Amino acid sequence: MSPTIQAAIVRFDPKAAKSIHDWQHSSMLLCCRVDPKGKYVMAGGIDHTIQRWEIATGTKTALVGHDNWVRMLGFSPDGATLYSGGYDGRLIFWEVGVQTPKPSRTIQAHQGWVRGLAVSTDGKRLATCGNDKMVRIWSGVDGQMIQEMKGHPNIPYCLQFVPGSHDLVSGDIVGNIHHWHGADGRLVRKLDATEIHNMIGDIAPFGGIINLVFSSDAKVLVATGLHKTTNAPGGERRPVAIPFDWVSGKKLPKKESIKKEFNGTLWRALFHPNGIMVGVMEKQIGFWKPEENDAFHLLITPSEIYDCDLHPNQVDLYTAHHDGHVRCHQFMAI
Amino acid sequence: MRENIYRPCGSAQHTVGRRQFMGDFLTAAGVISAGTSLFSHPLGAGEIARRGKSVVVVFLNGGVSQFESWDPKKDLDTGGPFKAIPTSVPGIHISELLPNTAKQMHHMALIRSINSGLDDHGLANNIIRTGRTTRSATEYPELGSVVAKGLERPDYPLPGHIATMLSGVGGRANNAAYLGPGYASVNIGAEKGGVVNTQLPDGMSVTLDSRRHDWRRFANNRFGAKARSAEIDAYTQSYEQALRLMERREVFDISKETEAIQIDYGKTEFGKQLLLARRLVEQEVPFVEIQHGGWDFHHNNFEFHLHYVGDFDRPFAHFIADLDRRGLLQQTLVIVMTEFGRTPRINTGHGRDHYAKAWSIALAGCGIQHGAVIGKTDAKGVEVTHRQIDHRHLFHTYLRAVGIDSSAEFEIAGRKFPIADPAYGPIEELLA
Repeated sequence: MSPTIQAAIVRFDPKAAKSIHDWQHSSMLLCCRVDPKGKYVMAGGIDHTIQRWEIATGTKTALVGHDNWVRMLGFSPDGATLYSGGYDGRLIFWEVGVQTPKPSRTIQAHQGWVRGLAVSTDGKRLATCGNDKMVRIWSGVDGQMIQEMKGHPNIPYCLQFVPGSHDLVSGDIVGNIHHWHGADGRLVRKLDATEIHNMIGDIAPFGGIINLVFSSDAKVLVATGLHKTTNAPGGERRPVAIPFDWVSGKKLPKKESIKKEFNGTLWRALFHPNGIMVGVMEKQIGFWKPEENDAFHLLITPSEIYDCDLHPNQVDLYTAHHDGHVRCHQFMAI
Repeated sequence: MRENIYRPCGSAQHTVGRRQFMGDFLTAAGVISAGTSLFSHPLGAGEIARRGKSVVVVFLNGGVSQFESWDPKKDLDTGGPFKAIPTSVPGIHISELLPNTAKQMHHMALIRSINSGLDDHGLANNIIRTGRTTRSATEYPELGSVVAKGLERPDYPLPGHIATMLSGVGGRANNAAYLGPGYASVNIGAEKGGVVNTQLPDGMSVTLDSRRHDWRRFANNRFGAKARSAEIDAYTQSYEQALRLMERREVFDISKETEAIQIDYGKTEFGKQLLLARRLVEQEVPFVEIQHGGWDFHHNNFEFHLHYVGDFDRPFAHFIADLDRRGLLQQTLVIVMTEFGRTPRINTGHGRDHYAKAWSIALAGCGIQHGAVIGKTDAKGVEVTHRQIDHRHLFHTYLRAVGIDSSAEFEIAGRKFPIADPAYGPIEELLA
């Protein structure tokens, strides 16, 4: 890690937010990722496209290849390849740096929507999950399917590789977390976060594990979503994160927005290298210290946020919004 | 965790029950045991022609999205993530969430151009069910009551207007207005044998029960000779109908069906109600309503529709196919009704809100042109662009499809009431 980034990590300050970019697209955006080299931010939308903004210039380029909403994005560790998963069931590989990226590989990964996508730390493996209740592992190089795992009783929403490993965790719409062995795909153990889902009218699950993320030291796995549902079709619920001690599997105290309550889903959380958890929920960006349950700071943005990603400089946070904007806030004390 | 109580958007009408029950309607004890002769073979043509017609309403309570059901759109902003699929009728496409129903489209028709104007649950429910836009103090009977009256046959032993639910609580709703409580809906459960509280209490013999009913009739007649009124008649009629209903208790008991048939319908709440509805249609009950809900997805619309339409699709398609196989569909009009549609705009919670300006319903069965699509909406689903229809046209159409002259009048206690709004008429091009 360069001295510049080390210094930036120290200076990361959620209360020193400054809006540095605000780029607009014509359709709602559902996901975003910043490439590991920090040159581009990519965002997938309901208009079936991925939009690439060059961060230095704000130049926008459309990536066309999906035939439905683009739900998840991921990068190879070298930043050369973008992977996207859509509601068309496709997993698409894109060469990032070319003038107008085209699909370099298209895989019909799932029957129905692709819900989750993750890239292993070494970039050799991708994982996807979808409406067919399957979890599939793909080669990050040639796109061949390496393994497929079934066992989720309902739709898996999200997944994440265990840092530095090919082991995988996946979380489903009814709150089960499955830990899969990287070598043979067997189920190692299950963690229970079923408290963050409800069954509505015995017909539809509501909530579930929207996102899984490991802490920077990989000692804690966090499942995010919603709880305290009082009227699911009306959207009355509260955002929540349920951390687990990764080694023991023991559930740790929930992270919520306690002092300031609002209806929301914690769509995505990530960990800053200094240990702070950052999460997006409705219009808010929340920040939690490792030892605290309540957010110590909330930043309100102009529109609902469905995804976020941290720039490699560790101080710029990009967010994808309902109003079609990608916004970037810099959190650095002067 | 489970949340089984349907709580729609929180508007005031959800806090008050729509129906006012006569709670003890079925508590009068008394059993005269008799079997039912349900048929499991297809009917012959002559048998079909002699049968009474029925209407089955499947009410998708809360407002189903037309985009995720009968009028899918490709528009990137409003269409949502579900695709359109072909159906058994060339050229008609419906949502991919309805693959089984799509195979029954040759028995069905769609109306895609409804502009009913009201997007409040309570008011919209009222106008869709009564076919009127009420601007006066007059209350109008709901479709079920009008059909029960219009298709009434002398000495028919069962109620003409039945609402099914999972667990039967008995009781009668207050939805018949000037037609009187005899045409209001009777609530019947699809589980636990259908009708509750119909067994004689321990120690009560059939003979003793019969004698106490004789005594009740004697007392009623003596009282009625001095002070007769419509209310007293209705009360008396309720007892007699309850007795007749108890005699035919097995009609309501879906456990009399084979395990295979129960599995075909699906052992869900909805599947059980459809199976009960089929048994009631076999008995020529004029009007049956099933509720499936609630569909009021202001939040998470697509996720909920994925599951809710999935829950609807297979049992509903099987119901239509089964009615057809048994020869019952030729005498039965099935209406997939809801109170309004949902907004083209996808809101910040990935939901759709109430929308009454351009929405759809589906019909199946008798009296309609199969494979017809009435009306059109624009590419975004915002406006009706062709053949605008409202609740008053629909009401006329339902009645005409089962042979009730919707331009006629009911004469009640010397007063004439138009059966349907006389300023409107049916969708003639839809009628068979």
